[in-house]
Amino acid sequence: MSEGWWLWLTLFLIGGTTMLTRGSFIIPGERARLPPVAHRVLRYAPAAALAALIAPDLLLDDGALDPFNPKLLAGLLVIVIAWRSRNPWLPFILGMGALLAMRKLLGW
Amino acid sequence: MNSKFLEGGREGFRTFLPLSVGLVPWAIVTGVAMRSIGLSPLEAFGMNVIVFAGTAQLGTLPLIAVGTPIWLIVLTALVLNLRFVIFSAALAPAFAGERWPRRVLASYLLVDGTFAVLSDRLLKATDPHWRWGCYIVPSLWCWALWQLFVMVGVFGAGALPQDWSLEFMATIALLVMLVPMCATRPMMLAAVAGGVGAVLMRGLPLKLGLIAGIFIGIIAGFAAEHWAARRRSS
Repeated sequence: MSEGWWLWLTLFLIGGTTMLTRGSFIIPGERARLPPVAHRVLRYAPAAALAALIAPDLLLDDGALDPFNPKLLAGLLVIVIAWRSRNPWLPFILGMGALLAMRKLLGW
Repeated sequence: MNSKFLEGGREGFRTFLPLSVGLVPWAIVTGVAMRSIGLSPLEAFGMNVIVFAGTAQLGTLPLIAVGTPIWLIVLTALVLNLRFVIFSAALAPAFAGERWPRRVLASYLLVDGTFAVLSDRLLKATDPHWRWGCYIVPSLWCWALWQLFVMVGVFGAGALPQDWSLEFMATIALLVMLVPMCATRPMMLAAVAGGVGAVLMRGLPLKLGLIAGIFIGIIAGFAAEHWAARRRSS
């Protein structure tokens, strides 16, 4: 893990990206406008980024493709729950429950 | 403090309150996730106050955990935060008349939930005091609630067994954010292409696979939207 002042520098820079994006139009204060094309492109950034972070965790084991593993099954369960239910706790409880059951009870 | 400010504050708070309850599990999970990668309580608190963005925090934790180069961590955070540029552009007219300290504070506190339920009211409001109250009261409530329950997670994490794969909570949280986004076909395609792209490009040096995956996803979503619009118009 990143340690010490290096970690704090990382945290400040990450925080800088939140201030930069949140303040991008509010802080200048003029009635600047975002070009429509930029608006349409930016809409896809969060979904693409979230999926790019999640997929390797669910599909890779030590850098190698492993299309059938406990994390992927638990992840698929979470997708179904999040899609079907509005309860904010359920995905965490059942997702972690499924992963732990597969790892601890089945020894997978 | 004038009566218009309080009136706006009450309206904003009442509107945001039901949604804010949904923040509690996120906050707890973020707290647990920060501890599970080895941040001390002070570092976790620091990250939470400095960054104050659940998605960017949960998304960068796995990268911090494995000692990813700092520029890649920051770039990933930037991409995860790009949606705020849209929110900021949409809300800017509501704050254009405020002085800069307020505009800075309003920017720091801008989150998805308050934007989603308050932006209409803020842009339609005619009284500046009412508008400021309607934004700042629920936003400060959201900040305090977030800090409090992240700390519950940070200190509660110690009570949970070490070998419970708690870092998976961060992945679950990211999934729960992603699923409702995929309601339209181009958005779903952006997600699938981003995920597949990141997996296929994992061999790229400097962990560029993540960024490559994100770009593939954005392009796929934009292209799908463009073609769907063309088909409709022809």
